[in-house]
Amino acid sequence: MELFLARIFDGFSNGATYGLIALALVIIYKATTLINFAQGEMAMFGAFVVLVLATERGLPMWLAVVVGMLISAAAGALIERVLIRPFDPSDHLPLVIITLGLFLVFGALAGIIWRFDPRGFPHLFPAGNAITVGVATLTWYTVCVTITMLAVVGGLTLLLKKTKIGLAFRAVSSNLESAELSGIRVGPTLQFGWALAAAVGTLGASIYVANPIFQLEPSVMARVLIFSAAAAALGGLDSLGGAIIGGLIIGMVQSIMVQYVGFIPNELGLAAAVFVLMVVLLFKPSGLFGTKSVERV
Amino acid sequence: MARYTLVQGTPQARTYHWVAWTLFIGLLVLVAFAYADTGQLNILENSYSVSLTRLNKAIAYVIAVLGLQVVVGYTGQLALGQSFFFGTGAYLSAWLVEDQHWPWLATLAVVIPACFLLGVLVGIPALRIKGLYLALVTLGLAAIFPSIVQLDSLDEYTAGAAGKKVNSDIVAPGWLPLDGIASVLQNIPFFGQYFGDGDLSSNDADRIWKFFVFTVVGAICFWMVANLIKSRPGRAIRAIRDNETSAAVSGVHLSRYKTMSFGVASALGGVGGIVYVAELGIASPGDFSQLLAIFFIVGLVVGGVGTLTGAVVGGIVIAFVPEWSSATTDVPGVPARWLQGPTGTLVLGILLILLTFVLPGGIVAGVRKMRAKVVRVTPSPPSSPAGADSAPPRESGDTPHPVDELSEPPTQHEDVPATSAPPG
Repeated sequence: MELFLARIFDGFSNGATYGLIALALVIIYKATTLINFAQGEMAMFGAFVVLVLATERGLPMWLAVVVGMLISAAAGALIERVLIRPFDPSDHLPLVIITLGLFLVFGALAGIIWRFDPRGFPHLFPAGNAITVGVATLTWYTVCVTITMLAVVGGLTLLLKKTKIGLAFRAVSSNLESAELSGIRVGPTLQFGWALAAAVGTLGASIYVANPIFQLEPSVMARVLIFSAAAAALGGLDSLGGAIIGGLIIGMVQSIMVQYVGFIPNELGLAAAVFVLMVVLLFKPSGLFGTKSVERV
Repeated sequence: MARYTLVQGTPQARTYHWVAWTLFIGLLVLVAFAYADTGQLNILENSYSVSLTRLNKAIAYVIAVLGLQVVVGYTGQLALGQSFFFGTGAYLSAWLVEDQHWPWLATLAVVIPACFLLGVLVGIPALRIKGLYLALVTLGLAAIFPSIVQLDSLDEYTAGAAGKKVNSDIVAPGWLPLDGIASVLQNIPFFGQYFGDGDLSSNDADRIWKFFVFTVVGAICFWMVANLIKSRPGRAIRAIRDNETSAAVSGVHLSRYKTMSFGVASALGGVGGIVYVAELGIASPGDFSQLLAIFFIVGLVVGGVGTLTGAVVGGIVIAFVPEWSSATTDVPGVPARWLQGPTGTLVLGILLILLTFVLPGGIVAGVRKMRAKVVRVTPSPPSSPAGADSAPPRESGDTPHPVDELSEPPTQHEDVPATSAPPG
């Protein structure tokens, strides 16, 4: 039982990060009906910017994260304007190619600028354990990650439900043409979505590598992206709450499976995520909370 | 307008094709002998090797990209996990040759059906999973390949993280007068010096032989795909690409043809893997990562989506760009720091984004446009009234998704697969 609890706690800390990156994927999907394959690498790059701000510029950690998020938001907006907007959103191939190109560029740039040796990331949250039940320890890290994740979802929901730009964003994601006809400036609204996603991604990556057991290196997010994409698909690609719940489920599945299903070795956690992704898409393509897409045949 | 216009089917056009092909094959032979020992190109302070080893690796990539052309370029399905099948082919072949002592060529007979079936297995769910989701799942598949081959339970077959070593049995046969050809080439005035001197070492001879064998394997793949594209299934898959609904309405069996195209693409990926492992002599898990899958897509796009020659260009680009940029150590005006890291990946990424903007048809489309200014082969005047008002000839490389390609007169299809166009 205690062991089970320990695995649950572990699942929470991973799952919350997957949820945050999944949120970024969902925001971009809502804006441009596009899965941003470069999201993980963009977030990794953002985390490096945060690290540089904190260690080389001497900013306090939280301020560094906020500034890093702002810089990522600006970069996200720029990417949308320059690389995404010129293409027809209904033609997937060029957009997939662009995001794969961004994947290569960001990964390589991080490798060139910061090299491949892993770096420790400063602590974002207090160290130590909050609760100890036998062998199961709930670290402050896990508690804070969960709180941050809930705060982000709450903030995003408020932003989308209560503000004018949020209303515009919802209108555009629900029906681009009608939104345009009712006078919403579609371009800047989509740009806002990309900026938001980039900022959330950077936060997610920073939190992920702030976990004492991980370090920051250019390839750190490649696996996380697959987990997060599985989480986003499980929750339904256009549901914010679904992304978080999907993230937690994937995190739990990963940590419990590694413990209890003996014949599946640790390396196959990723395979399990891909399997979940495939099963969800096969049998319930709209995920748990997503909007069912109606296709005219 | 083109300076020379040839009409298809006339003796001139036939001569043109023959001359072009002969020059191409001649070039291959020259390249084989010139670069049998490690050939070097020196630009500024950097030396770039053009050895046959690299060219052989390029052939492996070319075949894999050819597979992507079938499924992405011609069927329009975003199946991006080609490295999965490439790796499967490589490991399967390595295991058969090394542990079961099969001759190398015979492994083709196992790998092709195995990868075809595997591709069909992946293709069946893909009938329900569409577009972006398919891209996601297949990239995920590519990402898990390295951890699958490193499973403890597969260790005795795949040799785990260390990689599966294999001794290739492709040895130059004694009846082939390779030394004779080499000495003839060496005695050409002025140019002879590029072909080394003296007899070939047995290593060099084997390498040349491998290059020829791989080229023939690759050529057979191209010939088969070109025929496939021209045939009824080929027209069906192109109809699916252009508009799935109207293809289904016109009686195309969507699931049958999609699965077929998945299978063919995966089988080609497997063949690429066989060539790869025969050349390198080792299959290591790190080589078949997600990055390789993305590199194959770079190859697809850089060469030109939906063109067969595009696969050749693309495969060569992804084989040489990363190696050459890591060989580049000195470029005036660029700090050394930028040349030591993963510069090749950066270059490929930028190339991918840039080409999508400026040359969506890839390099092949650009070359064709230029060639059309000099020589143009027009189809023979159609005899049927249906084609009487047909537009001036276009080549498929100019537009990656020509919607009206299928409504063109049948004679036009002779020119669609790029292999019928002269190389270069």
